[in-house]
Amino acid sequence: MSRAILSCSGLDKPEGSVAREVAIRGAAATGSEIVCPVLMNRAPARYRKLLTESALIVVDGCSTRCASRLAAGQEAKVDRKILISDAVKTSDMALESSLSLGPAGLALAQSIVDDLVRNLNAPAASLEPDTAFEPPTEYLVVTHDKFEFRIPAVDYLFNENDVWIRVLDGVARVGISDYMQQSLTDINFFDPPKPEGVVEQFGELGSLESAKAVFEVIAPASGTVTTVNSAVVANPGLINEDPYGSGWLVEMRLTHWSEDRSLLQDGAAYAEIVTRKAEEA
Amino acid sequence: MSEATFMGVPRDRIPWFPTIDYSKCTFCMECDTFCPHRVFERREGDRKLVVANPNNCVVFCRACSKTCGPEALSFPDKPGIIALIKELHTVESAQ
Repeated sequence: MSRAILSCSGLDKPEGSVAREVAIRGAAATGSEIVCPVLMNRAPARYRKLLTESALIVVDGCSTRCASRLAAGQEAKVDRKILISDAVKTSDMALESSLSLGPAGLALAQSIVDDLVRNLNAPAASLEPDTAFEPPTEYLVVTHDKFEFRIPAVDYLFNENDVWIRVLDGVARVGISDYMQQSLTDINFFDPPKPEGVVEQFGELGSLESAKAVFEVIAPASGTVTTVNSAVVANPGLINEDPYGSGWLVEMRLTHWSEDRSLLQDGAAYAEIVTRKAEEA
Repeated sequence: MSEATFMGVPRDRIPWFPTIDYSKCTFCMECDTFCPHRVFERREGDRKLVVANPNNCVVFCRACSKTCGPEALSFPDKPGIIALIKELHTVESAQ
């Protein structure tokens, strides 16, 4: 599949200048076509065919995420995301304060591009999902105005951050609730946790992104990530279509289940939480 | 309107809410526009935005800070809050 790269216009912050540089160098290193954010906003038809046929790399300078929002507004299929302000924090480089890139900014841009190329060339994780999980058959329904939020009546447990967990023989499958997927609206990106990554209860299991928000997936239990749902990485819309079935996010091997279990809610208790949240929102 | 508990722990005993760094905030109001829980309120004067309803904030949610270009919003140390909730949960469960 061909690739395209969209960055923010990058004109008012040093991180934006790095974003532009990453787009320019990244396009050359990966054979991607550059998408101009201003032209995409002004005349989206110019890029419609390209975005339909290409895997899109989105580069945002800061958390305002102009490029991401632009991509979400055009319903572009996002393959990778880079947030320069995060990259600055995780690198030991002190970015120059000027808008013209200095040696540190250029070095950071090159290291981000090197990482991007390495990641694109890395083989996909080959872990297979557990096939024993069946989708729910019986639901509780919370109704608020014109909205209906479904909650599996049995087998699923929830934390108050709208993340579900289903456990079979010490293996757990995790996803987000129908209420949260509707709150986020169309999810266009899933940034998964690392396979074999260890996470504590209430730690992060990656994040989801829509035009509306970035949602951190709060781990309902402690354990090791064994499998990431590659179908959802490729098509995050599955989360909206089937949040308790094919839209699951990760599988985990649990480490402190009996202790973690006491902090989770069953379907009926979570239905009360959804009722309250829907009324407050 | 704020919830009474989080994970069985009284919400007002969990110090999880955003803090605004007024030296960075540009009062763009992206966070207030985004947050559906009315954590922020707009005011007259120098500080045009304040954290008016901290207990409305969903514990562990940091979504508002991810809308903040100038990175003016910060949250408490998460592991410390997790430890506090587990400790308070044990106390509440024993009562």
